[in-house]
Amino acid sequence: MLRPDGIRALLDRVTDEPIIANLGSATFDLYHAQQRDANFYTWGAMGMVSSIGLGVALAAPEKKVYVIDGDGSLLMNLGSLGTIARQNPKNLVHIVMDNQQWAETGGQPTHTSTGTDLAEIARASGIAHVIRVASLEDFEDALDHAVNEDGPWCIVADIEEHGHGARPPVSVEENLLRFRRTFTD
Amino acid sequence: MPPMHWTDAIVESLKSHDVWLIPYVPDAITWQVLSKLEQDPAFHTVPVAREEEAIAVAAGAYAAGKRAAVFVQSSGFGNTINSLAQLSQAHKIPVPTFVGMRGGLGEFNPVQIPSAHPIPGFLDAMNIPHYAPMVEDDVTSYVDGALELSFASRMPVAVLLYSQLVGAKRATS
Repeated sequence: MLRPDGIRALLDRVTDEPIIANLGSATFDLYHAQQRDANFYTWGAMGMVSSIGLGVALAAPEKKVYVIDGDGSLLMNLGSLGTIARQNPKNLVHIVMDNQQWAETGGQPTHTSTGTDLAEIARASGIAHVIRVASLEDFEDALDHAVNEDGPWCIVADIEEHGHGARPPVSVEENLLRFRRTFTD
Repeated sequence: MPPMHWTDAIVESLKSHDVWLIPYVPDAITWQVLSKLEQDPAFHTVPVAREEEAIAVAAGAYAAGKRAAVFVQSSGFGNTINSLAQLSQAHKIPVPTFVGMRGGLGEFNPVQIPSAHPIPGFLDAMNIPHYAPMVEDDVTSYVDGALELSFASRMPVAVLLYSQLVGAKRATS
């Protein structure tokens, strides 16, 4: 499975629901797949995307909220899984694209390359619904459940890293304000 | 009329500014406020595992149209810096942050001192405004002002809670 294919599978299943993208490849690939006001692109604060998603999910319980995280990033913020489990937001879908590397800094292998299992960590943290997938077909099947059934969900997808598109020309402040207006207008 | 207790003054200021979500890492100082916020249906409190999460949860709530304020202790303030800089400041997301300041008058734990004393300097270096009410008479005006500043200009603002205001934690407590 490739990250852009997973992102397209997600976009095929949403309308105006918020998607929060991790810095680097997830932000780049989401932008190139479809520009939407309900996309929140991050560029730093590595590891925080699941926490941002939790804040969005708590503030907007009427919307399903999707997070596209990465393995290197989630490894920086494993406590977030316990925080999410404790809050138990039914509307949060946390997708982890696990390429087993810090792709943005040269492809150095992360701990998932030597056996750390983020799905098991999510499960042990108390996340209600955790699925680990390795194929696009299984990812789409997991998404179908997550879209239609109460969560919180954590979907850990093993992906092959094939790089990403060019850095998109996004104003971070404008992105925030457009994203916020999808909730307040 | 005597001033409100400092904890009640903070609760009332948060309410008057429509703050709803309260991500926190607890400590003995801020718990005096947090324990009231936890019981108050006007707020949703979110205990987190580490301080930078608190900033990010608050940022997410603001991005979704709500208002949040963060409570942490000085010993973990350093963990907030990346999120304050790369989320709150970079995206212009208001994150009012209350910091229980250890390391001052009456401190019994020497390791609290070198983490607390640099905080005003860190905040100055980051161009984050910070205010420290030292007497109960000042709490409402300082906290109201800090919240207004944060939300009007969409920036992080810190309120530092020193032992002069909140009392020193006792070694035996």
